[in-house]
Formats: sequence, C-alpha cells, structure tokens
Amino acid sequence: MIGGLFPNAWTVAVREFRLRVRSRVFQVVTLILALIGVALALLPVGVSALGFDQPSSVAVFGAEPDAKVAADGLVAILNGMEHSGLEAEIIADADAERAAVESGERDGLVTVARGADGDLSFDLYTADGPTSGLVFAVNTAAGQVAVADRLERAGVDPSQVGEIFAPTAFHVTPVDPNAIDPEENFGPRYLLATALVILMFMAVITYGQWVATSVAEEKASRVMELLITAATPRQLLLGKVMGAGGAGLTQYVVVVGAALGGLVLQGPVAELVLGEASGPSLEVQGLNPGLLAVVGLFFIGGFGLYATLYAALGSTASRQEEVQNITGPMILVGVAGYFAAFTALNVPDAEWVRALSFVPFFSPYLVPIRLVLGQIQPWEIGVALILLLVGVAVALWVAARIYSAGVLLYGQRPGVRAVWRAVRVNR
Amino acid sequence: MTLVVDTVTKRFGEIVALDGVSFSAEPGRIFGLLGANGAGKTTSMRIVLDILRADSGTVTWQGRANTEVPRKTWGYLPEERGLYMQMTVMEVLRFFAALYGVPAREATADVEDWLERFRIPDYRDRKVQELSKGNQQKIQFIAAILHDPDVLIMDEPFSGLDPVNVQLLKEAFLEMRGRGKALIFSTHQMETVEELCESIVIIDRGRVVVAGHVRDVKRAMGRQVVRLAADGVDGTDGLAWVEQIPGVSLTRRGEDYLELHVRTGTDPASLLRAALERGERVTRFEITDPSLEEVFIEHVGRPAEVAEERHLAPGQARDDGREWTS
Repeated sequence: MIGGLFPNAWTVAVREFRLRVRSRVFQVVTLILALIGVALALLPVGVSALGFDQPSSVAVFGAEPDAKVAADGLVAILNGMEHSGLEAEIIADADAERAAVESGERDGLVTVARGADGDLSFDLYTADGPTSGLVFAVNTAAGQVAVADRLERAGVDPSQVGEIFAPTAFHVTPVDPNAIDPEENFGPRYLLATALVILMFMAVITYGQWVATSVAEEKASRVMELLITAATPRQLLLGKVMGAGGAGLTQYVVVVGAALGGLVLQGPVAELVLGEASGPSLEVQGLNPGLLAVVGLFFIGGFGLYATLYAALGSTASRQEEVQNITGPMILVGVAGYFAAFTALNVPDAEWVRALSFVPFFSPYLVPIRLVLGQIQPWEIGVALILLLVGVAVALWVAARIYSAGVLLYGQRPGVRAVWRAVRVNR
Repeated sequence: MTLVVDTVTKRFGEIVALDGVSFSAEPGRIFGLLGANGAGKTTSMRIVLDILRADSGTVTWQGRANTEVPRKTWGYLPEERGLYMQMTVMEVLRFFAALYGVPAREATADVEDWLERFRIPDYRDRKVQELSKGNQQKIQFIAAILHDPDVLIMDEPFSGLDPVNVQLLKEAFLEMRGRGKALIFSTHQMETVEELCESIVIIDRGRVVVAGHVRDVKRAMGRQVVRLAADGVDGTDGLAWVEQIPGVSLTRRGEDYLELHVRTGTDPASLLRAALERGERVTRFEITDPSLEEVFIEHVGRPAEVAEERHLAPGQARDDGREWTS
C-alpha cells in the first residue's frame, strides 16, 4: 500500500505545502499569532511594569487613644494576611487621607472608634465595591480585632486570646479520590495539559478545514479531473493531508516557539524594564522528550484522522461556500473531544476517561492529558496508538472511496444515501 | 495495438448514459468522437481513463484491460479546463509531470520547447491566472502530453480557441500523430473532423449511430454530391432540367451553382455528359462525398452546432449530476 502511495502523495504534499506557506494570508496570520504568543508570554512583566500588581494601600486612623490600640491591631492583622495584596499603615490626619482616597492615591481609609456601648466600630471609606477583596479583607480583620477586644473586656487573659484564634483543624475529603487537588489545578502541569488540549483542538478544526477547503477548491476550479487521471484518490488524499498538516505544523512551531522564546526572555526583559531580576514565573514543568514524542505521535495521528475525513467531506462540495455546512459533523466530533478533554482535566484517571482514551477520535486529546496529569500505563499508550493508526488507515480507505465518487459530482449536494451508494458501487 | 471499447454500458441511476458503446482507435491515427453534449462523449472518455467504471463491457489497450494499464499511458484534456491559478505556468506543468514520474529537468526542457512552439515562451514564469483562456488551454494541452502518453484523449480541445490557436493546436495534433500516438477527441466542429480524422464514431443518447472510416461513413449515405455551374446561363434557373434525371435531386440553389444529390447507382458523370449534350458551357463540375455535417444531421436529426448549444449547460450536469438527482 505504501509503495502505491509514493512518490505521488509526496509530490501533492509538497505543492500543497509550498502554496500555503507562500500565501500572504498564511504569513500575516502566522506573524500575528506569533506576536500574540510573545505578548502573552511577556504579560507578567508588562503587568509589573504598568503597576497593575501594586498592593492596595489602606490607611488606618484611630482617634481616641483607646481606639489607637485597636487600629494597631488591625494594621498588624492586615499586613499579616497572605495573598491579600494589602499594605496598611497608621496615619494621623484623617481629613488629608480622605482627600487621598478620593483622588485615588489611597485605596481605603479605615476609621476606628469606640461607641457609647463600649464596642469598637469600623468605618471603611473607599471607592471599591462591597464585594472587593479590600472590603472583604478589612471586614475579616476588623471582626478579629473586635472579637479580641470583647474577650478582653469580658475578662479573658490576653495571653489566652491568641489560643482562641489559633487555626482550626480543617480538611476536605473529595468524593472522587482521582480528583486533582484544587491547589494543583492551577499548577504548571495543569496549564501544560490545557495548552495541549487547545493546540489539538485548533489543529483539528483549523487545519482540518484547510484540507476540506483545498479539496473543494480543486473541485470548483476543475483541476480535479486532471488530478484523478494522474494520481489515485489515496495518493491525493494523503498528499493533501500531509501538505496542509505540514503547513499547519510550521505555523505551530513558529507560534509556540515565539511564545516559549518569550517565556525564556521573561527574566532578562524584566530586568531591562523593571530594573530588577525576577525568574520566569511559569516553569515549563513536566515537559520531557518522552512526553513530547508521545504527544507528537498522537498529534500527528489525530490530525491525520480528522483531516482525512475533512478531505472526503470537502470532495462532496460543489462550491467552496458549501464546505462550511458539509464539514459540520466533523466540527461536532472535534468539539465533543474537546469538551470530553476539558472534563477529563479534573478527573484524568476516571473509568470513562480510560475507556475513551482508546477511541481514535478521542485518544489524541485524552492520552496526553492522562500522561501529564494522571496515571497511564505504557501498554495503554501503545494500544491507543495502534488503534489510532488503524483508525487513520480505515479513514483513508473510506475517504478515498467517498473522494473518488465525490470529486466528479457537481450540481446539488449529495445526501448521505447518495454518498453511501457511491462508496458501495466502486466508483 | 489498438484501443478497443467493447459494448460498454453505464447507468447513472435510472438513466442509461452509455448503451453498448463500441469503437476502436489506432496508434498513429486521429479518431473523432462526435455527438451532442450529453450524448455520452465525456462519459465514454472517463470510462476509458478509468475515472468511471462501466457497468458492463470492457476497455482494452493493446489487449490489456484499461484498469491494468499504467496511468502514464493516458493523456487527458478535460472539457472543463482547470489549472492551479496561483502557480506559475512552469510550476503547474512540472507538478503534473512529476505526478507521472517525469524528472523535473526533462519536464522543464519539454515545457520550454512547447511554449516556444505555442508562441508563448514569455509566459513561463507567469501565474496561470494572468493568462487568457486560450493560452490556459494551450498550457492544459501541454500538461496532457508532457509524460509522452500513448493515448491522448481530448474533450472539445478546439472550443474557445481563436483561429490562430486552432491552427497551432492542429499542428500539435499532427505532430503527435506522427509520433505514433493514438489521438481521440470530441468536437462539434465538423470541418475540423474532416480535416484531421481518419475514423469517427457518432454517439446519440448513449448509442453509437455511426462508426468507421470517414470515407466509408460518407459512402454509406448512399449518395454523392455534385456541384454544377454553367456559363452564359442566367443565374442557375437554366439548369432546372437536371432534376429530371432519375436518381438526382436538387438540394441547394447557390448564387451561381447548383448542389445536387446523386443516389448510388446513378453515375454522377452522366450529369456532365447530359449537360455537354445540351450544349451547356460547364464552368464547374465537382463530385464529392456528403459532408460529415450531413452525415451527422441524417443520423442525429439535427445539426451538431444546434445540438451543442441546446445542451451546453446541462450537458455537464447530465454527465455528472444525474446520479444524485434520481
């Protein structure tokens, strides 16, 4: 079979690749995507440079001496909060700070006072909405100060107050033991798996569509009749898929390469822009040659499977405008895989994920996820890969039949039954 | 050493596109495939090329089934022209040559040679879309022959060409014939067929109505054509007596001559003798076979050009689309 496919499939692929890479649209889109990739990679540096990650500054004012103690306590708690992004300080002139809050120099002014009933009262003057992190943090801290104050007034030994506020033993037990630790959800591995799913999805949808459009173009321009005299449908199909896939891969390499370059340059750029050294904030963790090889194989196999069928569907269109409609089912399958993959990100070792990761249409999404996030046995990878390759071979066979029947059909769009008949009756 | 199409039948759903079609074409000869569009010419060609498969019947080249013959054997110029518009002339031609296994260097030399011959050497590195329709057609012809096929199959190769290009293409045909190729082409221009073809087949509604050597086909009409003019006679009215001769009928009264049909069995020369005996000063006396146009009309019932126009658009749809309309 291979002997019958080359060198014509290669000739077709080279033509397809050259024409696509040479086109202005391809070059402009690739450049734009690469710039977006670099921009995203350098985003953290930009955020620092523009000061979006400056901490909120809160002024705390206690009028009476008694309230001053409470204000001190509030400042201590606010500054001790983790991840709050708050900086609190005691100030003396409430009116000046009020003006500062209004002008935006300060994010909030807390006025601590003791009411007639002896309870502490807190007033937060701020432009932030009631649900902002600042309001939440000040509210929490104020509660602690107020409770400690009440305890003291009730006669509790101040040394015991600390014990009362000691952290509670609290633990979450998930129903599904395979579920990923929520803390890990935002970790680098999770990001890597997400990126792989998105890259796969984009490849299937975008580059698959390229193949379908290209086939429909050849049919519409009537070059097809010459092509099928010169080469077999299988040679044409495989060449098309390889050529468009190669062009797509080129675009990927450029864009992903630019983004990775941006990540590597993050440190030096930060140093240059901010004048301070800060290491890359995103470690490319869990990325190793073995993983890349497996991901690459499934990427190519998955693209081959989808693109072959895209080509077959493209061959049934008479005009390019019809391609979008005809390829609808393929997009549906691609989206189904995409959603399955996104659900699987949180439960990579669930039974249904294991089962689906053997199915050709889904394995290109799910095997990389399980490899990065879950536990997958080498034999599972092997079986999934073999099934995927078998799937590609079957798709090529079916597609070649649809193609050889489809490319000569002009006029109205053939229905499913008509295509089936054409596939059955050997041209 | 021939291409033999033997009782080929092809159905598209309910419609019978070809019904027991047989003909054969020889190397070193040019063969004409005549018929209105939709008659089955394109379908016949596609079956020979193994783009379509016949329901029954066989196609053989030198005794081998066409499905077994290497693709290199065939050169094809489809009726619907199509090339890659974004590529240059040289790129397109090299691409098709490569599909047939022709090395790039060999192809380049051949392409330059043919472009020279077709008087468009400057178009070598132009994009196909910049060329006129006629020039694109010449490029497509080159694409069909670069791999030096044994059989050249061309669907309406002359349609849309201006007289100069028609002449260039005819010369190319004759050269290919000289190289011992079998040429098959379809057309509705009967003069071209008369000029180039040795034998023909006329297909009507999927059936062969006439086939054979052009001379034999004409003879089979059972008549000859005589054109007669005489000096000193006012107009041609004075020659009215010729209709009295048995087996002779007047078919056209020209400006200064008469065209007569003479049935087989009557000696056309007897017309001349009769004229001389009557003292007419004969200035023109011509005996010919009926034209192919007449043959076509006699068998198909309408002129080829008219039939062509009537079917121009639906012809393609009938060949291609009918499977899906049923």
